[in-house]
Amino acid sequence: MNMARMAVTGGLTVLLSLAPSISRAFWEIPSALPPAEHGNLLIDRASERKGGKPATFSHWMHRMRHTCRVCHFELEFNMLVNSTEITEAANRSGRYCGASGCHDGKAAFGHEKPHCDKCHNGDRGSGKEAFALLADFPKTKFGNGIDWTQAMERGLIAPVNYLSVKPPADLAVIKPILLEAEWRGIPAAVFSHKAHMLWLDCNNCHPDIFNIKKKTTKHFSMNRILKREFCGVCHLTVAFPMNDCKRCHPDRPNLQE
Amino acid sequence: MKKWIAALCLVVVVAGLAFAQTGVKKKRALPFEYGNVVINNFSEKAGLAPVEFSHWFHRAVFTCRLCHVDIAFGMKAGATMIKASDNKKGYYCGSCHNGKMLYNNKPIFDSCLPKYTQEDARRCERCHSVGRPVRKEYDFAEFTGKFPKERFGNGINWEKAEEDGYIKPIDYLEGISIKRKPMTIQSDFTINSKVEGMADIIFSHKKHTVWNGCELCHPEIFVGVKKGATKYSMVEIYDGKYCGVCHIKVAFPLLDCQRCHTKAVQ
Repeated sequence: MNMARMAVTGGLTVLLSLAPSISRAFWEIPSALPPAEHGNLLIDRASERKGGKPATFSHWMHRMRHTCRVCHFELEFNMLVNSTEITEAANRSGRYCGASGCHDGKAAFGHEKPHCDKCHNGDRGSGKEAFALLADFPKTKFGNGIDWTQAMERGLIAPVNYLSVKPPADLAVIKPILLEAEWRGIPAAVFSHKAHMLWLDCNNCHPDIFNIKKKTTKHFSMNRILKREFCGVCHLTVAFPMNDCKRCHPDRPNLQE
Repeated sequence: MKKWIAALCLVVVVAGLAFAQTGVKKKRALPFEYGNVVINNFSEKAGLAPVEFSHWFHRAVFTCRLCHVDIAFGMKAGATMIKASDNKKGYYCGSCHNGKMLYNNKPIFDSCLPKYTQEDARRCERCHSVGRPVRKEYDFAEFTGKFPKERFGNGINWEKAEEDGYIKPIDYLEGISIKRKPMTIQSDFTINSKVEGMADIIFSHKKHTVWNGCELCHPEIFVGVKKGATKYSMVEIYDGKYCGVCHIKVAFPLLDCQRCHTKAVQ
């Protein structure tokens, strides 16, 4: 086989093997769920294998009462469904869901009868009725259809920010950052540390997801983000989704907070 | 035809690299896994399973200094290039694992014999355990059940565990360690953070010398002749240098930001 033919075959193989990833990377945003289900998960590590139903978890219900920091920092929940080794024993010994101040049988129902099917019901839409009561919350177009940060600022919700590891009261806010877009004609994205620090601890994002020195995070591009990397770790299925372009890429960036 | 296959392999590898994930949250080690180290310099070549070393158990029994200064273990898995023959001569693991030294009134099992019987092979597996169905003698939950708890890492407040008498790490080995008169401990000091709005660090020599002495950090990791002589940044620390030598994989992890960045912003 001569070299030219080899190159062509090789090139074609590359294209063919990458085609699904390319189309997914550019055009496929996870399909929108009804607002009451955005961020809802079905967790099934061992439930079905053991004859139970997958556990339903509602992000919106939990974020009304606790910030992201509490579960994803203090309680060590990972950021991908089914990757955290939540077990009945762990819950009962006060880890994960069963942490003291959460589902410990006092603050909220514990891991025991008759509460089983409150979580183990296999229904991603459970809790719809409670969601309907949030009709007068500040609106957005996508995700849960609720601007949670504004809801917090207006005092409609007051999520607890820690269980035992207190965040420092005076951690000063680091200034907003302007992130230049890769494509011409797309306005720069504005990243607000302040809005994120309302919910998160430093280490939720640093250094695993984003490096701590400006402009040193490699491969930080929109097609990576759409594949659940970087901003996409949260802003696809839990925080407001990517359909809401202008929320990050406003026409006129405002760097004053 | 072979060339074609080679080209295809290359394409797959390149595509794999290009689409490898970055920018995602890593899975955290569970408390009983945290600090465990796999050592495989020579094991598999010698037909044995790689070694799984438990920091949590060894730190409950020995100070860091004893192994990393007196016995001369490096600070990176695999960097020490431990050989069976060295262990047998009483270096490295063999300093304690010699069948004679006592712990809990029981002799500590011997390491790495030049020849071994079927019966001895069980003992090999106590360390050469990766991928083997080995039940360890000391179970994490059982051993540390009553220890004072804390978030992150092993989920144990080791400092308090020593204060409360749950652990009494050995700091001196007859014939290996040398007793020196202790130096006075410098009082706590502040390390200024570079990012505007970030709380400064309060560094306690007192807390660090309990298990490390001076030699573990000075002069190799921190020159330490004068405050400010060693320049380092958080990026380098995340890279496994300076504080990151210990505080990524063994001592409490870096994600516990406020454990070091405690001094209020003025």
